[in-house]
Amino acid sequence: MARNIGRFLVLIAAALIYSSALASSIFQPISDSHRSAALELFNPLGGSFSSVEKTYEELRTFEVLGIDKRSDISTAACQSVSEILGSSSSTLKDLFYALKVNGILQCGIKEDVFEGVASRLQSVVGGASALLDFYYSVGGLALIKGQTSKDDLYLADAEGVFRSIKALSQSDGRWRYNSNNPESSTFAAGLALEALAGIVSLSSSEIDQSLISTTKNDILKLFDSIEKYDDGAFYFDEKLVGAREHQGVLSTTSSVVRGLTAFAAVTSGSLNLPSGKILGLAKFFLGIGIPGDAKDLFNQVDSLAFLESNTVSIPLILSLPATVLSLTKKDALKVKVNTVLGSNAPPLTVNLLQVLRSGSKDTSLIESQELKFDPENAVYTLDAMPKSVDVGKYTFVFEMVLHDSDHKNLYATGGRIRIPIFVTGVIEVDSAEIAVLDSDLGSIETKKKIDLAGENTVSLSANHLQKLRLSFQLSSPLGHAFKPHQAILKLTHETKVEHMFVMGSSGKQFEIILDFLGQVEKFFYLSGRYNVQLAVGDAVMENSFLKAIGHVDLDLPAPPEKAPQPPAQPLDPNLIYGPKAEIAHIFRAPEKLPPKKLSLTFSGLTLLPFLGFLVGLLRLGVNLKNFPSSSVPAVFATLFHLGIAAVLSLYMLFWLKLDLFTTLKALCFLGAFLMFVGHRILSHLASSSSKLKSA
Amino acid sequence: MGRNYFMILTVLSVTLLPILSLSFSTDSPTDRRLLVLLDDLSLKSSHSIFFNSLKSRGFDLDFKLADDPKLALQRYGQYLYDGLILFSPSIERFGGVVDLAAVLDFVDSGHDLIIAADSSSSDLIKSVATECGVDFDEDPSALVIDHKSYAVAETEGDHTLIAADDFIESDVLLGKKKIEAPVLFKGIAHSLNAANTLVLKVLSASPLAYSANPNSKLSSPPSLTGSSISLVSVVQARNNARIMITGSLDMFSNRFLRSSVQKAGSPRKYDKSGNEQFVTELSKWVFHVRGHLKAVNLRHNKAGEKDEPAMYRIKDDLVFSVEIYEWSGKSWEPYVANDVQVQLYMMSPYVLKTLSNDKKGLYHTSFKVPDVYGVFQFKVEYHRLGYTSLSLSKQIPVRPFRHNEYERFITAAFPYYGASFTMMAGFFLFSFVYLYHK
Repeated sequence: MARNIGRFLVLIAAALIYSSALASSIFQPISDSHRSAALELFNPLGGSFSSVEKTYEELRTFEVLGIDKRSDISTAACQSVSEILGSSSSTLKDLFYALKVNGILQCGIKEDVFEGVASRLQSVVGGASALLDFYYSVGGLALIKGQTSKDDLYLADAEGVFRSIKALSQSDGRWRYNSNNPESSTFAAGLALEALAGIVSLSSSEIDQSLISTTKNDILKLFDSIEKYDDGAFYFDEKLVGAREHQGVLSTTSSVVRGLTAFAAVTSGSLNLPSGKILGLAKFFLGIGIPGDAKDLFNQVDSLAFLESNTVSIPLILSLPATVLSLTKKDALKVKVNTVLGSNAPPLTVNLLQVLRSGSKDTSLIESQELKFDPENAVYTLDAMPKSVDVGKYTFVFEMVLHDSDHKNLYATGGRIRIPIFVTGVIEVDSAEIAVLDSDLGSIETKKKIDLAGENTVSLSANHLQKLRLSFQLSSPLGHAFKPHQAILKLTHETKVEHMFVMGSSGKQFEIILDFLGQVEKFFYLSGRYNVQLAVGDAVMENSFLKAIGHVDLDLPAPPEKAPQPPAQPLDPNLIYGPKAEIAHIFRAPEKLPPKKLSLTFSGLTLLPFLGFLVGLLRLGVNLKNFPSSSVPAVFATLFHLGIAAVLSLYMLFWLKLDLFTTLKALCFLGAFLMFVGHRILSHLASSSSKLKSA
Repeated sequence: MGRNYFMILTVLSVTLLPILSLSFSTDSPTDRRLLVLLDDLSLKSSHSIFFNSLKSRGFDLDFKLADDPKLALQRYGQYLYDGLILFSPSIERFGGVVDLAAVLDFVDSGHDLIIAADSSSSDLIKSVATECGVDFDEDPSALVIDHKSYAVAETEGDHTLIAADDFIESDVLLGKKKIEAPVLFKGIAHSLNAANTLVLKVLSASPLAYSANPNSKLSSPPSLTGSSISLVSVVQARNNARIMITGSLDMFSNRFLRSSVQKAGSPRKYDKSGNEQFVTELSKWVFHVRGHLKAVNLRHNKAGEKDEPAMYRIKDDLVFSVEIYEWSGKSWEPYVANDVQVQLYMMSPYVLKTLSNDKKGLYHTSFKVPDVYGVFQFKVEYHRLGYTSLSLSKQIPVRPFRHNEYERFITAAFPYYGASFTMMAGFFLFSFVYLYHK
């Protein structure tokens, strides 16, 4: 199950990398962008690394890329190196990487420190059984031997150690981490090979040749399990997924490359590895591009550095600065040949063998020819584009021929190299015209010439019985017919409903005849103004264009019932999101009232009867002689009238401020009071008047 | 045995507590925990700039293979993540308990999503996108091709590497700083569902662009052409969940982020493409670092008073205010805009007025209550491009005049009053004359 998932993952990874590799199936050697990426990736840590392993990775990457940053970190790094080497409790892994850092920085560690470390490592080698212990201790000893003047540092029982490492190998060329662990790993194979190489260099006497040759066999078996991408890149992948330490494709391949190159460097005789596979490995590392992870960058750069100087075969990378060549600008075809790290290749000739039209399997358009070498820029150029090459997509086939026959075994050139090339140019557009035709007779109603290079504002009108014809000619710089990928006539209605038609062609002539009768349904019976646009474009056409030709007023019949509705058009986001129009409430208009003056005049007039009444009273000669003279009735009379006055003023107050309830309450009291005093005074007046009568 | 379970529970709760307290909350709407689903772990390295920029902005990224058998979005009913990044275009079936419905539930519960597709996109990824309101081109081999606004590259000849610069005009989506350099895009086209008003085109293709297979002849018109092709779209759902959909996974890659760019036909060459700025700014928006609004302290009172009344009378003058703040990623800052509106609403708006603000987040206005009584609502419905929607309402009844609140001294009635009072005065005099005249 786990195995299946693993396979599946590899497939996905392969598909992914393949898709990105397709974009640049020309592999470019390491360049300045790697250098800036390295500075960026390692810089954030700013010298204070969490582990000596990271320090080594940084230093090694910078060393390979030729960036001098040593002084920035050497003090801190050297200090931690001497601490690790001096301490007896530091782990094997730390010792190993500390020695590696020392190899780059030359920290000036004292001899006796080395001796202590060496004896410790020697004892570890003697008692080791796990692959990693062998790897670190043997590697450490080999590093000490390289860094000190002690030429007499030898492994006591080199062949025995060799055998015990070899005992961990599997029949398919992979290694186990230790004897208890049945899982074999490709990553471990790389480590084991590196360790074996260390043993060979540490051995005082020649190692048994049969051991060496079986190891070489193991390497060949390991290379049987190599996997391949479609673009020619080879890689190793760890078969087990979900194991304790899963290594990615990059680190696995990198480990194998390190082991292979180390082992090949210390043994004599050829490994019989096909140089294509070595080149494929180089392609794999270059195909990654620029990794965004410090560890990945280290693995890439470190492996490429090993490949650059390996003894099996040194890959040479043929790259083109530009694969898009313009016929109009007369771009020259330039080819560069470099090693993987970007240094110059040995003397060689680059031949252009074939030029094939892509997509068709016809024969080459040219004879094989040699590219001219420009030693100053180290560039191979083709003086003039072959005469028969017009605009289009081509596959150019190159071959590298090394001058020195000894180099043939030393370098991997990869045989025939096929590179896709785009040859672009300006396409000539001619005799464009648009016409409205009568359907039955085919006679031309209106015909207008258009200039597809300039601006056009043609205005036409047509009904559903007519046809619209648009035609133009395209020819390539060499005068051949040219068929662009995109030749589309676009009609856009006022309501943004679009209709598109692919233009057909015969030879140079492009023509489309739109019979509106057959298109009525497709046009959703939408009459009105249609904008006409023509889009012509192709990857190799330098003057691709989208031109507004003008407009045509279509008069289509009214839609029948159940006619299809035009598709909804997306709303303009500004319409959805803009603020809404303000709403103010309109209040009910107040009732119409007479003007103030009129009301006041009439109020004045209401005083007149009262005045008339007063005047009448005066005229009559009113007197108040009947007012009671005795004191008690006089008091009651006064109170009675005051009461009336109070009631009347209560009415006044009712108008001015009081509400009905207060008024009625007050009126209750006043009324009772008035009854009482009124009764007294009125009965007094009645009795006095009856006395008067009787008298 | 039971004791062991108890131990495990304790350990779990102790480890979960800090996670829970960090999670999405209304006080701090920015997402924290993001799940990144990948087809292949090498994407971590090839897209590291984007991931590192997320990490440096304080997000916790959890990288998983999309078919990881232990994959889960929620546990015990609690979501484990605030956002999901689907960088796994070719996945046919997610691992674990995650499926299309689980992803949609994740969004429906207010979480955010970034979907990046490419030419290897599976039906699963396309159907997630369809549920979000965008339709990818159905032709699996089609790519966006543009023969006019492609990126000039000496080794890319088929014009599928697009230099797009037709951005949506929105500061909240793309940041205040204008994106100068074009954005590199290589991938598949999608179009917006016309019926969906929540989805927006952030980056559109040029009018000459079309979606087709670059290696085969075009026999029928391409289904997607011109500006109707969307390269990058965003959705803000009604629950303020945000989704970003793009047809190009490479858009986020280190290679595109670091690449120089020159648009065909333009003399200017930029040292760096606009991708980094574009994806950074847009990811800020998607993960609610920007454009998240909150409204608090909705208040109203009669003009000249302080307390909120239980009821208004028709034709009262009232003062309405609300405070609106915008989340800046760290704190709530005053939101300044001149288009916040309030409605006085009963079945339909009776008053709709734009609020004025004091630049410190306080929005206020005053108006007269309409002369219609009934149960009204103050409504603030704020939907602006890119911002989270605000939808507030507060109910308030409006009563008619009381009997004693009508006008008391109407001039037109003065003749009647005059007549009554002169009558009364006459009566008063007459009472004297009648009683005491001799």
